[in-house]
Amino acid sequence: MSTATDTSIPPEAILARLKDVLEDFIEDWDTELDAPIGRETMLLGDLEFESIDIIQLVVAIEEAFGKRKLPFEQLLMKDGRYVDDLSVGQIADFLHQQFS
Amino acid sequence: MSKTSTLFIGLDGCTYTVLDHLVSDIPGTGVVMPFMKKLMDEGARAKLRSTPNPLTPPAWTSVQTGRGPGVHGVFDFIRSEDKGGEVYWTLYDSRDIDAETIWSLASRQGKTVAALNFPLTAPPPDGVNGCTVPGFIPAKHLRRNTHPRELFERMKQEIPGFDPKELAWDFEAEKQAMEALDEDDTEAWVRYHLPREEQWYKVADYVLRNEQPDLMAIMFDGVDKIQHQAWEFLDPALLPEEPTAWQARMRDVCVEYFRKLDGFIQSLVETAGPDVQVYFASDHGFTATTEVLRINTWLGEQGYLTWAKSDDSPQAMRREASDFANLDWDKTVAYCRTPSSNGIHIRVARNPGEAGIAPEEYERFRDKLIEDLKSIRNDDGEQVVTEVLKREEWFPGAHMDKAADLTLVLRDHGFVSIRNYSPVVVPRERPQGTHHPDGIFMAWGQGIKAAGMTPRRRIVDVPATLLYSMGLSVPEDVEGKVPKPFFDGAWLESHPVTIGAATLASSGQREIEEMDDNEKQQIIEQLQMLGYME
Repeated sequence: MSTATDTSIPPEAILARLKDVLEDFIEDWDTELDAPIGRETMLLGDLEFESIDIIQLVVAIEEAFGKRKLPFEQLLMKDGRYVDDLSVGQIADFLHQQFS
Repeated sequence: MSKTSTLFIGLDGCTYTVLDHLVSDIPGTGVVMPFMKKLMDEGARAKLRSTPNPLTPPAWTSVQTGRGPGVHGVFDFIRSEDKGGEVYWTLYDSRDIDAETIWSLASRQGKTVAALNFPLTAPPPDGVNGCTVPGFIPAKHLRRNTHPRELFERMKQEIPGFDPKELAWDFEAEKQAMEALDEDDTEAWVRYHLPREEQWYKVADYVLRNEQPDLMAIMFDGVDKIQHQAWEFLDPALLPEEPTAWQARMRDVCVEYFRKLDGFIQSLVETAGPDVQVYFASDHGFTATTEVLRINTWLGEQGYLTWAKSDDSPQAMRREASDFANLDWDKTVAYCRTPSSNGIHIRVARNPGEAGIAPEEYERFRDKLIEDLKSIRNDDGEQVVTEVLKREEWFPGAHMDKAADLTLVLRDHGFVSIRNYSPVVVPRERPQGTHHPDGIFMAWGQGIKAAGMTPRRRIVDVPATLLYSMGLSVPEDVEGKVPKPFFDGAWLESHPVTIGAATLASSGQREIEEMDDNEKQQIIEQLQMLGYME
């Protein structure tokens, strides 16, 4: 449990918020999911994201967590190139790292 | 009777070259836009000088804020940051606007507003007393970005034939605006915008009738998109004398688009009622571009940049095919990031080991680069780059450092190519539409004089005028002015222009590199409030 002076944000709270953001995100996409959204869910592989959707997701996450200009390039780029896909767990870990 | 006092119709890329043609009696065709003809005959108008780079995002943001890009902070579609080893790209959004918008200004003074299809209105901006349906947002994201959210569901249920997929921005399709298409694709491209515009008209009609906002603003962007690909069928100076079957079809579909648009405008104006003041503005004008300048090819030939070497991996192939310059950043000191920017960024090594020129070299380096740019000639020996704008002179303000160091004005007002093709300057197979710095600004209705064409205005004058139309003061720090030649003397006497308190600082731009404990605590409290934490 957090106290007024404890500024570490539990990873499970971040993951839960992120899952809600994603569920709202794809609500009217007609995406057929084999399993509920979880850490292993892949943005492109499972949720059928396109590149423009990732840009929109970054905005939605920043809005949901009330924090702008998070360094998403650290997550989206590796060795100067954009990554092929991302899991929900990777995003949650990135957010936890930012908020720790 | 509608409560709406001010109807603002944005026409993306509209220019008098086409408008004057379509309100004239064209042999064999007649008057394509008879309602616009009536408004132009009875109203006032002026050319409207756009932002230094006449481009949709910065220009419409100036329309929304009355400030130049150096102040409002929006320069392009794509927001890019040089991270030293690579450039990180994303899109500008409403939070990047660092100036109070007209939607906020009107709302906090008790007015209601509707802003439909304007760029940079997603995510929904704070402080809007009314509704926003954003432009330039894919259908998949329209629901979340409509304000209030329940409006989207209402539109789905209550507007016959409402189809977000037809209405919204198709990112892949829109890329075609700047590409060379074959005949069939060009025709399909123009036709694609007919149902889109009808969808926006239906949304505008619904909002106008049901919400009756004090300020009703709708932007039709098909004008720009069609002109990019079909300019030669709209500019009377370029119309083919003996058209082929395809050229005749192209002309017909262009005429059909503008005839329908005229009908949409008539319907909205009549629904708004007899007391309304109607304003039209475009973010820029249009003209023909006849050649392509491959600016990064030229910069490479001159030794300013080095192209990245591809390892033929799928990632590298995708990167090569993207619209962003793919460069060897360790060996690049000047480059153009995007075609739409027409800008050149100079890389300055601020810290030891960074790529770029030394800070003390900047002025000399830039002067030499300007001189070199102005020396570019086409095969006929004509100067291709006619003006080179320095950012401190053209983009003053807190965000000047985000502007390109140099912005190019080409002799045909074209946009540069950033692809790695040769030669540097190549003629286009056929003329294409491109942005001209002079757009349109027109007014009609109560208190508006049948003044015809009046002296040219600046794009930042638009929001000042809309505020005045609503009976509000013009904030003292807005750069624009109310165009008094638009109004009759009695109206000006009974409705004097007043200057009021300054705009509020925008809450959109929050650039905080390090998150402090207070910020973390705020996030914790938010998560607790939402039930994610005990």
